[in-house]
Amino acid sequence: MPPTDYDVVIIGAGPAGSTTARFAAASGLRVLLVDKRQELGAPIQCSGAISRHALEQVGIAPEAEFIHEAIYGFAIYDQHGDREVHDYRRLKPDEYGSEPGKKPLGYVVDRRRFDRYLMTQAERAGAEVWLKTEGLGYRPEADGYCTVSLRRYNQAIDIRTRILVGADGLQSQVGRWAGLQTHIKITELAGCLQFIVDRVETEGLLEIVTGHEWAPGGYAWVFPKGHGYAEIGLGVIATMTDRPARWHLDKFITQSFFRERFADCRILEVQGGGVPLAAPLRTQYADNLILVGDAARHVNPITGGGLHTAVAGGKIAADYIIGHLADGLPLQDGALEGYQRLWLEELGDKMWKLYGIKTDIFHNMNIPERDRQLYATMADYFSPTSEFKKI
Amino acid sequence: MSKQQPVLFSIGWNACINCGACVAICPQEAGFVSPFDTIAVDRPCDIACLLCEQICPVDTITHQPVPRPGGHNGVNGQ
Repeated sequence: MPPTDYDVVIIGAGPAGSTTARFAAASGLRVLLVDKRQELGAPIQCSGAISRHALEQVGIAPEAEFIHEAIYGFAIYDQHGDREVHDYRRLKPDEYGSEPGKKPLGYVVDRRRFDRYLMTQAERAGAEVWLKTEGLGYRPEADGYCTVSLRRYNQAIDIRTRILVGADGLQSQVGRWAGLQTHIKITELAGCLQFIVDRVETEGLLEIVTGHEWAPGGYAWVFPKGHGYAEIGLGVIATMTDRPARWHLDKFITQSFFRERFADCRILEVQGGGVPLAAPLRTQYADNLILVGDAARHVNPITGGGLHTAVAGGKIAADYIIGHLADGLPLQDGALEGYQRLWLEELGDKMWKLYGIKTDIFHNMNIPERDRQLYATMADYFSPTSEFKKI
Repeated sequence: MSKQQPVLFSIGWNACINCGACVAICPQEAGFVSPFDTIAVDRPCDIACLLCEQICPVDTITHQPVPRPGGHNGVNGQ
């Protein structure tokens, strides 16, 4: 009789949790993946952009099932509408394009279908998945394991496991259970709003609009969404404006240099979210517990992108757990610190560097200067020569 | 900012887009959430930092001051 019900319990079946679950289950570990929602991916709090490289890195095939549209590059705008374009169809025409034998640079995915697909892959790899199941708390035990309290369709269930993975997003409660310092500053959480729209033309590029005028503290975007749809959104930092994101998005649509382009747009969906433009959590582990994805603030502090970092971090977490459990090592009293070291080495150190760059820009109180810096940084970030290309 | 009077939050559900930003910014301990994944609206918040109101992308959180708890459960008068 094994002393635990599972080796790993993962709370939150988003991209980070499901990727952790898939790799851990594929290695033969007993994995339980739970999510309180009835439909994964929803409510959508994300624009859905991810690079092809990021998918390949963690063994996710680019299936039509979850892809809205292929992406071939970037256009970065300053606040007046001047732009720098990095279109990989022109930069590397032999490699990138829609023709047979060529590839896209990335994709905009449907988060509902993407998240469900990743969960399915985890389930097929051997993970057990429970929806409509929320985590209520956890308790490290004297025998070195821990008990996780869950509620599934109103039924209370206690599960014994070796490791609990908190993958419950930016609103993470799991990290708070362990008393980790998860608090994010108001100056580093962008309030975001986006509309899925009809009648806005796009050209296979992720368009990023900088400028305090349009998105104080953040940026605005126009992404292709497939089938002729687009998404228009922006994120703002509350301390840099007296208005909510919705007001800024209306202004961007009706008053910016894109007002003609947007004049006919029809809103098909309204989505929003908090996007951290912040450093990763300083401590991402506790007794019997590690955090991944948004819960560990594995989000790119310059772009606010969290999909690549979620799936990459999920694989790092699984690799670590597999090795750690195979070696029969302790799970408490700082024993899981190695996870964080591994993560910093593979991903985190670069994110800390990006955080430094981002902080320097927004500490500049001279707005025209800051606008120029942000535009230059974004234009450089997405260029083929950027040192951060793989984040 | 010390010794704020506790507040009871109210959410205009018609405008709420369930984005989770209010919970993400909330400095309360675990559990100050509603069944709809917003900040709690059924009990007073004794921090009253109002960051949730500030970050809400659709400006749909408001509050009313409530008496500071005189007893142990916060329902007694000042």
